[in-house]
Amino acid sequence: MMDSRKNPMDDLQRSKGDASSSLGRKEPDSHESDESLLNRVAEKDQKAMTSLFDRYGGLVYSVAMRVLRDSKGAEDLLQDVFFQLWRNPKSFLPSRGSLGAWLLVVTRNRAIDVLRRRRPMDSVDDYPISSGENIASKVEQGAMMQKVRTVLTSLPPEQRNAVELAYFEGLSQTEISERTGDPLGTVKTRIRLALISLRKALQA
Amino acid sequence: MNGGRHISQEDLALYAMQALDGEELNALRAHLPTCALCREQLQEIAGDLTVLGLSVEQHPVPEAARQRFMESIAADSPARTTTPIVIAPEPARKRASGISWVPWAIAAALAIAVAGLGVKMRTLNEALQRQGSAMARATEENVHSQRVLRLLMAPSAQHVTLTTKKPSVEPTGHAIYLAERGELIFQGSNLKSLPEGKIYELWLIPADGRAPIPAGLFRPGKSGDASVVMPPLPAGVPAKAFGITIENAAGASTPTMPIVLSGAPDSQGE
Repeated sequence: MMDSRKNPMDDLQRSKGDASSSLGRKEPDSHESDESLLNRVAEKDQKAMTSLFDRYGGLVYSVAMRVLRDSKGAEDLLQDVFFQLWRNPKSFLPSRGSLGAWLLVVTRNRAIDVLRRRRPMDSVDDYPISSGENIASKVEQGAMMQKVRTVLTSLPPEQRNAVELAYFEGLSQTEISERTGDPLGTVKTRIRLALISLRKALQA
Repeated sequence: MNGGRHISQEDLALYAMQALDGEELNALRAHLPTCALCREQLQEIAGDLTVLGLSVEQHPVPEAARQRFMESIAADSPARTTTPIVIAPEPARKRASGISWVPWAIAAALAIAVAGLGVKMRTLNEALQRQGSAMARATEENVHSQRVLRLLMAPSAQHVTLTTKKPSVEPTGHAIYLAERGELIFQGSNLKSLPEGKIYELWLIPADGRAPIPAGLFRPGKSGDASVVMPPLPAGVPAKAFGITIENAAGASTPTMPIVLSGAPDSQGE
């Protein structure tokens, strides 16, 4: 999805498309790499931290809003995610993938925890996030969001629904099965097919 | 589920979304640490799932949230120090030893010189940018100082002393607030230290009944003293009172009860 040479989140950040323009404010040092900014954050450089906040704040806030559907909760989560990064920039390991992808995963998982008022079950964000090479190389700047949306809207409604219930609503497979009335095996198949479609479309 | 075999793609995807449960979850937990292949597949699936986050409707970060974050990291920062600027020395060059090597030596020397100049120019550019930033910061600080001084000397500024409801308790706070300009200085004394992950948050409670407005985050030093100087506040909001709550380290957008210190202005300025 995202290769190690180029960070698609950076592409999105730099893009001029309408969708990506809300990802964050433009900052004069937007060319500075995430790694370099994180190194400065480790030295308590507030300006570097602000740059990262401006670069990814919109993305984090938007995901939190989508899951929580509550601006106050989303704002609090935004603060928590970035404050954790400020306090402990080493919590992100470059070997786990890109910073943008990691922030997305952390935000989504924490938002689900808030939504379900549960303690985190497994720290799945501790696992590395693969950076599929061809997505970063083929998807043009700013087009990725639109592309993902197009893929999702083109999915059969039941596949899309199954994925969204799991990813954005935080339902377990059993809960999805109960909610939709579909057998567990069907739920799994739909999620698998949706992800296959997503991967194929992004690699096309 | 797998009888010792690999985890299915479906279960890996569900696990990556924290949606796997039951026996399948137990089986995965037992298998994953022992299987590099499944961990690799989980990594790829997690990557695929990440892009789902890009499908959401985009919302700009509220300006107040950005300000609050900047305040919280400022409150959590040691005093800023200036990074010394280091100019990289030009690389040393060897002298050519034989006449037949002269053209090559000249070419090599030129290449090294060009490379050295490139490095030097880049370093100088960076230094210039840093100096420009430092100058901008100095200007900002100067403007800030002038605003602080103006607020302290303004005859119409309100002075508010914040205390606990019990007169015997020692922690106090003193606020100087100029509503017409939205300028505020707060000084707290004898404040109790807070546990890790907690912070004090000052609130402006508008006189017109609007929701409390965050007016700064702070943690007291060892002496129990703390201050908030010129937090970003809207101008023209008369204060009914000021209050302080204890919040999580990143602060909050609405106060969390109880209010540990509060106070109302005695008059509309003196």
